[in-house]
Amino acid sequence: MAATDPTIQAAKALELGLATGFGAIGPGIGVGFIFGKTIEAVGRQPELRGQLQGLMWLGFALTEAIVFYALGMAFVAYSIVK
Amino acid sequence: MTLTLPLLAASDFNPVSEFTDFINDPYVNLPLGLDINKAVVYIWMSGALAILITLLVVRRGLKVRPDRAQTAAEAVYDVAYNQIAKAGLPSEGMRIWFPYVASAFMFIWMMNLIGFIPLPFGSEKVSIAGLELPKLQIYAATANLSVTLSLTLVTILASHIEGVRYNGLVKYFKSWMPSGMPAFGVKTAPLIILIALIEVISQGVRIVSLSFRLFFNLLAGHLVIAVFLAMGALIGGVAFYFIQPIGLAMGVALFTLEATLIAALQAFIFASLSAIYIGGAIHPDH
Repeated sequence: MAATDPTIQAAKALELGLATGFGAIGPGIGVGFIFGKTIEAVGRQPELRGQLQGLMWLGFALTEAIVFYALGMAFVAYSIVK
Repeated sequence: MTLTLPLLAASDFNPVSEFTDFINDPYVNLPLGLDINKAVVYIWMSGALAILITLLVVRRGLKVRPDRAQTAAEAVYDVAYNQIAKAGLPSEGMRIWFPYVASAFMFIWMMNLIGFIPLPFGSEKVSIAGLELPKLQIYAATANLSVTLSLTLVTILASHIEGVRYNGLVKYFKSWMPSGMPAFGVKTAPLIILIALIEVISQGVRIVSLSFRLFFNLLAGHLVIAVFLAMGALIGGVAFYFIQPIGLAMGVALFTLEATLIAALQAFIFASLSAIYIGGAIHPDH
């Protein structure tokens, strides 16, 4: 089928949105957990705030990166179908 | 991204092409793929900026009572030393690898920051009052997989070389396995081989995760900013006048977030993980 086929176009648009959206669910929950747990930990031991914040940003970035795997694969699938 | 005053018409708005087209359209053609294109110019600018800022502050003379510029430079140094290097590197690795992670931090930060200043380095032209002027674009060198992958390969190669240098070949590769494994025997062989396979894969995945994290953070950041700024034009019609103000506000908000937080954070993360990987290879038991 040609690229101008509206069905293909619709499928590609849906694929990009769905893949990125579903891929964002897990990391979204994870990022929320990380920030929430850090707030909890700082509430218990405020003197460890500096160390905890460093770990928090590290965990945040590691979790957030998972969205980009989904986004990357979505782009790959998007551009493979001509 | 192309940001022009007559807002983007929906027909010629293709965000992804901004990140791929310049490769086929370099300024200077050189053999072996050493073309000088937009990304290379951006890397040179970031490197020059990272060196110049630090040199200017240091060459002006460091004072006991620091002025504003020195305070800022000292804050950056403090983050690089205490938060990045000390958190990951053991004391014997500091002398060689603290300069590496600190300059990686500074360099990537500058690449990310320059990526949020509209600069006329694109190939697209716009004619204003009869003059052919290049369009202002925001483009980051780190939104290019080749750049992040090369930086990642330096880190990963360094970590393996340092691991072998400090621990010896056999001890280093043994240290990839988790401690407390049962002895290699007929019964335990499948399990040990499976774990070894997983550990080898996880070492390979480091390359992917370290480079893709930086690459997609910047790429997706720029894409989202561009899509919001051009949202009215993308939808078109009468809706333009309702959608465009919202898109503009969202675009400016995201631009601020990306330029202040994400640019520094991603540089910090890359340098931190480099320090952790290299430090983990030097002292595998930690």
